[in-house]
Amino acid sequence: MQILTTDPVKEPSRILYSRCVLDLQSGEQTFNDVPCSNLEDVLGGFGRSFQQLAKRPLGEAYCDENPLIINTGLLTGSTAMTGMRTYFSAYSPLKQSLKGLPAAIWSAGSGKFGAKFKWTGLDELILENRSDKPVYLVIRPTERGPQIDVKPAEHLCGLTTHEKIMELQQHYENAHFAAIGPAGENWHQVLMGSIALSTENQLRSGEDKQRFAGRGGMGSMMGYKNVLALVAQAPDQKKPLSEAVKKVNTNVVKGGGAARLQPIKRGGGGGTWAAYDVLQPFHAVPVNNFRPQGNDLPERMLRENVDKDYDLESSACWRCGITCHNYVYEKKPDGSRGEFLSKFDYEPLNLLSTNIGIHDPGQGARLIQACDLMGMDAISLGVTLSYLLAWNERHPDKPLFDGVGFGDYEKIRELILATGKGSCPDIGSGSMRLSQKTGETDYAYHVKGLEIAAYQPETNPGYIWAIAGGHMTMGTYGMLIREGKTDFDSWVDAITRDKLQIVGFDMIGLCKFFDITKGIGTQMVVDCLKSDFNLEVTEEDLRAAVHRAFILGLIMEKRQGYTEAEYALPAEVAKIPNPHIKIPDISNLAYIEQLSQRVWAEFKPDMETVAKELGLK
Amino acid sequence: MTLTVKLYGVFRIGRFKEKQLEFADGVCIDEVVEHLQLNRQLLGIILINDKHANITSTLADGDTLALLPILEGG
Repeated sequence: MQILTTDPVKEPSRILYSRCVLDLQSGEQTFNDVPCSNLEDVLGGFGRSFQQLAKRPLGEAYCDENPLIINTGLLTGSTAMTGMRTYFSAYSPLKQSLKGLPAAIWSAGSGKFGAKFKWTGLDELILENRSDKPVYLVIRPTERGPQIDVKPAEHLCGLTTHEKIMELQQHYENAHFAAIGPAGENWHQVLMGSIALSTENQLRSGEDKQRFAGRGGMGSMMGYKNVLALVAQAPDQKKPLSEAVKKVNTNVVKGGGAARLQPIKRGGGGGTWAAYDVLQPFHAVPVNNFRPQGNDLPERMLRENVDKDYDLESSACWRCGITCHNYVYEKKPDGSRGEFLSKFDYEPLNLLSTNIGIHDPGQGARLIQACDLMGMDAISLGVTLSYLLAWNERHPDKPLFDGVGFGDYEKIRELILATGKGSCPDIGSGSMRLSQKTGETDYAYHVKGLEIAAYQPETNPGYIWAIAGGHMTMGTYGMLIREGKTDFDSWVDAITRDKLQIVGFDMIGLCKFFDITKGIGTQMVVDCLKSDFNLEVTEEDLRAAVHRAFILGLIMEKRQGYTEAEYALPAEVAKIPNPHIKIPDISNLAYIEQLSQRVWAEFKPDMETVAKELGLK
Repeated sequence: MTLTVKLYGVFRIGRFKEKQLEFADGVCIDEVVEHLQLNRQLLGIILINDKHANITSTLADGDTLALLPILEGG
């Protein structure tokens, strides 16, 4: 970034970002320093990429006109803690309106690739068209600026995400990697491909400890482009830590927001996995395709039970003090650490274990591992599998996929591997398409074509307005359970103002654990921007920019054919209320209808204003 | 007065799952949390007889108090 002003709100054009547009068909590369047009552009991530996608509405995702935009946020690679994020944006092959038009989407991931990418001198890479042959891209800094080499990648074909990264590591020192798996290569049959981002832990240990940009099929989009991997090779930039940022980082580590994520031995809550402990007393842990049974089955995945038979390790991203990772290893008979299995985060763990009838931690871990190695989004895969298993339970007379059932570990694992290899397109295409094919759509747990996260929809009407995935782009998922809020005023305020602020983290380059409850409109972020870039910006400026970016997401959904009827929870929730979930009923049709009226009454004027500001029709 | 106290997640470590405890009449939740030496940064959800309550709520004889860690993100 070239920053020639202290005022990014009034003078955004005096801030320029370094962009390369690479035409994969011709090989032509165009480098530009692009002046920002508003604060969203300055912050980066989807705040910038969605403005570009808005200029070119498309009829299908797999077409040469659909760009894959790879960018970072202003604080990616900075000294601010958690500043590791990379963003991938495009029209999604997976999420689409019932009209059949693809929705714009972004997906974010940590790992060290984002920082390395930033340190090559590039802020954004736009991949246009597609390559005729499989390639990988090497991005390096040179005296003349960043440079990109397009390399043949036949030798990487068919390798898992982890194998691709480890293969490339042998040839590129001081580099980090973004790679798709077999799923992304089989983009035509798998619409939910993810992108793996390498970590220091992974490269050092040789174990598959990568991170993922999973949502919306950005790995499939990269596969369609025939780009199997990205290499960002640049020396680390060890900028001195200012007193102001040091103070912020201390606050991040010791503040209340991160406390629950820290290891138990440090007095923390033990990571996102601990959501099991909180949701289970309400019988709100998803079981067998989001139908909790009011029993103690989910408790087999509580940490206290897993700890008995497996070796658990707390770990963190590079330079991050929030030790949020929980690595699970086999435990040898003598009690020592055995083979690495996978990382337990709440979403993949629930959706690839309890919600598909798997209650053995080791089996759950191996399913997560299989999903990761194939390079698929754990949420979309898990929810599509649970739909399939629910269908088979209801239709023993006409089963699909050899009658695989809830808890059938061996068959499910085979299906995951086969899906990744492109042999099960009905699963690889996601729950919406599978349910349309079977004709039973009520119990397909997606909203607007994207599978929901591992929070019961009964607890979260906010899913309806999430623009790129059910929990990380609308922070209402814990509101009912946590606060017991049922009144319309609280929900309308949360959806239209406070809880949409969560998407700010997908602009600026920080992880949501920086301050998940408040978003980026905080003094901590203001201090980081002042200290690292001498930018004068207020909390209100940041909140306004995030709000506009979110509103643009809604505008783009409407432009891609979404009708208001599609802004709905899965139909089963209201049609067959689950008596086991111990929460007030705020998911019945009358409640949702009234909430919808009030939410749209708030959003629609904002949408008109933002559309006018951006010159969108 | 007698309360039934239920603890969840990390709060159980070194303590208990469910226990009947004696407190003075009119005790408030803040005092129970203090008595149990729970990490307040981790305290997210408080239920009295399955209804949401807050740290200043007072308790009555026979109440069931559930203390759960915070729920954020995933």
